[in-house]
Amino acid sequence: MAGSAVRRLLAEYKQLTLNPPEGIIAGPIDEDNFFEWEALITGPEGTCFEGGVFPAKLIFPRDYPLSPPKMQFTCEMFHPNIYSDGRVCISILHAPGDDPMGYESSAERWSPVQSVEKILLSVVSMLAEPNDESGANVDAAKMWRENRDEFNKIAERIVRRTLGIPA
Amino acid sequence: MRSVGFSLLALCMTVSVVANAYYQKKQFYPSVVYITKSNPSMAVIYLQAFICVLLAGRVMRKVFFGQLRTTEFEHLMERSWYAITETCLAFTVFRDDFNPKFVSLFTLLLFLKSFHWLAEDRVDYMERSPVISYIFHLRVMALLLLLGSLDIYFVEHAYQLTVSKGASVQLVFGFEYAILFTMVINIIIKYTLYTVDLHSETPWDNKAVFLLYTELVMGLIKVILYIAFMFIMVRIYTLPLFALRPMYYTIRNFKKAFNDVILSRRAIHNMNTLYPDATLEELQAGDNVCIICREEMTVASKKLPCNHIFHASCLRSWFQRQQTCPTCRLNILRTPTAEQRPDPQRAPRPAVPNLRNVNFNIPNPFLMLNNNLRQQAAGLINQQQQQPQMPGGIPVPQPNLAGHHGIPPPGMIPFIPVPPIRFMQPPPMPPPNLSNLSPEQLRRMEGRERENVEARIQWLRNIQLMLDAANMMFQQYNTAAAISMSMQNNMAERADATPGTSSAGTSTSTQASPPTASSEPSEGGPSASASASSTPSVATSSATASSVSASSVATSAPVAASTSSASAAGSLTPPVVNSATDAAAASSSSVHNVKESMPSPSRNITVPVDKKSVNISEDISSSTHCPETVGKVSDTCPTTSKTLEPADISSSSSQQPGASSSTEESSPKTGDMEVRRRRLEKFQ
Repeated sequence: MAGSAVRRLLAEYKQLTLNPPEGIIAGPIDEDNFFEWEALITGPEGTCFEGGVFPAKLIFPRDYPLSPPKMQFTCEMFHPNIYSDGRVCISILHAPGDDPMGYESSAERWSPVQSVEKILLSVVSMLAEPNDESGANVDAAKMWRENRDEFNKIAERIVRRTLGIPA
Repeated sequence: MRSVGFSLLALCMTVSVVANAYYQKKQFYPSVVYITKSNPSMAVIYLQAFICVLLAGRVMRKVFFGQLRTTEFEHLMERSWYAITETCLAFTVFRDDFNPKFVSLFTLLLFLKSFHWLAEDRVDYMERSPVISYIFHLRVMALLLLLGSLDIYFVEHAYQLTVSKGASVQLVFGFEYAILFTMVINIIIKYTLYTVDLHSETPWDNKAVFLLYTELVMGLIKVILYIAFMFIMVRIYTLPLFALRPMYYTIRNFKKAFNDVILSRRAIHNMNTLYPDATLEELQAGDNVCIICREEMTVASKKLPCNHIFHASCLRSWFQRQQTCPTCRLNILRTPTAEQRPDPQRAPRPAVPNLRNVNFNIPNPFLMLNNNLRQQAAGLINQQQQQPQMPGGIPVPQPNLAGHHGIPPPGMIPFIPVPPIRFMQPPPMPPPNLSNLSPEQLRRMEGRERENVEARIQWLRNIQLMLDAANMMFQQYNTAAAISMSMQNNMAERADATPGTSSAGTSTSTQASPPTASSEPSEGGPSASASASSTPSVATSSATASSVSASSVATSAPVAASTSSASAAGSLTPPVVNSATDAAAASSSSVHNVKESMPSPSRNITVPVDKKSVNISEDISSSTHCPETVGKVSDTCPTTSKTLEPADISSSSSQQPGASSSTEESSPKTGDMEVRRRRLEKFQ
């Protein structure tokens, strides 16, 4: 009997494959290792990230779903809630107990009720509405607040790059 | 590629150094001496040795692990840096015996350490991987065996050296290898657990528990080792700075493991004992997928106080991390469970329909807590009930309230967040803050209130009915008396006897009041008193019936007072018409019966109505009363109906002595009664 984490990930993979949410594709990179997934997220419509397809990597802990996975964009991103190395900073990816930014209530933290699908949907909504309070990327947060045009320009450049269109 | 270049470069340099030495000295031994004497050559040799170690490490890694995974490599790098810094710190302590041998020993230690880490990561990986090959098992077992035996050997070696030569740097090695050996044991235990889990068909619930306790025990051993080491080092050398960081982490891990064990034990204990198993209906009612593992729940699932259902095993592993509901984050350690809280569904309901079975005398704290409102009503009854219960003679069965209400025995009380002070307050208690109550609770309280009020109204109606009955009796008696009077008059006229004395004699026998014969002027008095006696009582009873919130004792008292005052009024005016006072006496006695039986209405609605009067009232004036309640009342109180019998007899027997009243007066009196009766009906 494989571990419960593997079984749950299999179930989620099946679910995501059978009923994929719009604009999201995710699955294990290698079916021998269910603990590393790759996801493709399309930028939400009506935002500066519209049209982009952003690849990301999900690393699951061995005690998933008791602990949250880690998510990291593998393309260049410029967003207030994404570290410059691509790691995503949203509250549902933090286990209650660790709070890197010191502002999250435990109600919005990780719990086994969350799933890959919910994480990715949260990331999509995060792309649409950045939380400039948390500021994983302070430059991006500052620009988002004070110079939206510049921010939109950078975002557009990133979108073009993810699509392979020269800027 | 770069590493291959480096090793080739190092190899070239070594070869050139050795070749140079041999070229100069021509012989083996002198060339070795030459190399060891020359610092640059030695540097090259050391570099070569280092590269050899790295190469050996590579080979071993290939043999035992195959390709390293990214995370494993990252872990290795991270830990290596810490280990290297700490080794450098250790050098400062032992700078006196700093020599190549010393360095090589430390390098070997680092080398073995890194394999321990890798082995740990690899065994952890077992749980993540869907497929585990035989080669994996073979590799892990061989590696663990090798590492374990090496650790034991080095510990033994260090111990021998320390015993024979005294304290030296071997102390550090012995201690380090001992720590590594505990690590090997830990890995072996984990490996065994995972292997057992892999080969079992169903998920093995106890694995997490074993892991938790393994962590705890190993943590304890490590903490003891570190403290002992620290103690010895401080005594012999100086404070071992290099051991501080691992020691701190070890203690922290141990503390965490300890807390985990405590909290999870508590949560799991709660789960096993307090939370109910989900029933089949509950599972079938909704989506029966366990939100933790996304698998269907068929058996062994538990329902939390917040009504969320999970697999017991999933909950157990979650509770080892956090003691909250995964869905709604209800803190289960701080929340009283369903049984401890006053359960809205179970607790108060049975009390209401079984009013007569519930003894309000029992100072059950839960009742006080839950049924504040009922207590307000019961409080008054309570006080009154204590008196009749002693002489009443009817043993009230003491229902097992705990069982009755589904409330756990008082052993569970400490979990209730209400301070115990509240229990000491005497009843009746102030009503609870209504804004704190849920709509359902309010509805429930309201429902109980309504039932209480209805019960009270019922009692008042019964009192009224009884008074009606007395009234009817009075009327009947009057008519009978009038008939017999006229008959007697006729007889007197015919037989020419002296009726005044005879009637007076009989009236004295029935009534203690001084018998006055049927004298004209005093006739208005009794009739007036009779009307005065009956109407106010009816008025008060109807008034109390309308005042709904008044307690039953409060209602019964004025009734009794009014009737007694009525009888007093009757006795004040010399009762020329004995029947009037008789009836009043009968009614007052029955009302006294009411008063005596009223205080225990919780067990019975004992309204004394004798069967005859009930029948009469059913016939005549019960259009407003529900007949079944009247029947019930008469059925349930045989004792009181029996007590009424004498009054009944006296009234019937006084039909004869009532002959004193004249026929002329009887007709207006009955008319008067008719008016009163109509008024009464209007009141009803």
